[in-house]
Amino acid sequence: MTDQTYLTCEEMFRHLEDYLDHELRAEEVERVEAHLAICEICAKEYAFEGNLLDGIRKKLTRAKMPPDLARRIAATLDATPASDDD
Amino acid sequence: MPPAQQTLSKDRFGSLLTGVLDQAYGYAMSLTRNRADAEDVLQEASLRALRFYDTFKPGSNFKAWFFRIVTNCYYESGRTKKRRPETVEFDDVPRLYMFAQSAGAGLFDSGDDPATALMAQLESEQITDALEALPEEYRVVSMLYFMEDFSYDQIAQVLECPVGTVRSRLHRGRRLLQKALWQTAVEFGIVEKLKGQEAPA
Ligand SMILES: [Zn+2]
Repeated sequence: MTDQTYLTCEEMFRHLEDYLDHELRAEEVERVEAHLAICEICAKEYAFEGNLLDGIRKKLTRAKMPPDLARRIAATLDATPASDDD
Repeated sequence: MPPAQQTLSKDRFGSLLTGVLDQAYGYAMSLTRNRADAEDVLQEASLRALRFYDTFKPGSNFKAWFFRIVTNCYYESGRTKKRRPETVEFDDVPRLYMFAQSAGAGLFDSGDDPATALMAQLESEQITDALEALPEEYRVVSMLYFMEDFSYDQIAQVLECPVGTVRSRLHRGRRLLQKALWQTAVEFGIVEKLKGQEAPA
């Protein structure tokens, strides 16, 4: 039987990160979303946190691999027998 | 009939590896923060992956499998010794730290969501610096989370630790990051600037 009771704002506060990271079970997601639909304060908090995470992701840059490194690794692998070749 | 293929061919392995090498280099750079060390770690990891490629289960996540090898090579290389000790205690930061600070500074008065505005004003370099300044145990999970889009399960696989550990480090690391980003935003006048952009009444 699924729990049909509404989450309190306090419970919503604890679910924040797991919800945004898609780590909640489907029935928990439903309960969170039911609360978000009726509680402006929690909706504001969740939106803020979600936008913050998106903003961080968009701005983080990854170091580019030097092109010669890829070639060196490929050459080393070609010269090395794989584990089932011996 | 030949037995079902349980391992990859060397060619298939090569193309899987080539597909994640760029990302793995970025990860190695964020671990070592040094180009020469990152290259060494990645070369060693590639060789080791080739040696043990029959331990990879086709159908599972190759990137997570290879990142685990990169992580192990990094920890075994002794390059972690240069890092600051891990025993320093950091004050915990409450959830929604930045939200509370933004509300306190009146950034919600314009009606727009200030998180988007704050993030638009912060430079990529400031965000990267804040992430890299986190204590090692929070920094590494945060890198895997933000840069690689791994799930908690996949991060646990890469770091060979329980999912619960990933979750708590990730959540705490994020709160520490929020505090650092807020401090940067205050320091560089971003908060002041956004305060002056309130919508007309
Ligand atoms: Zn609520």
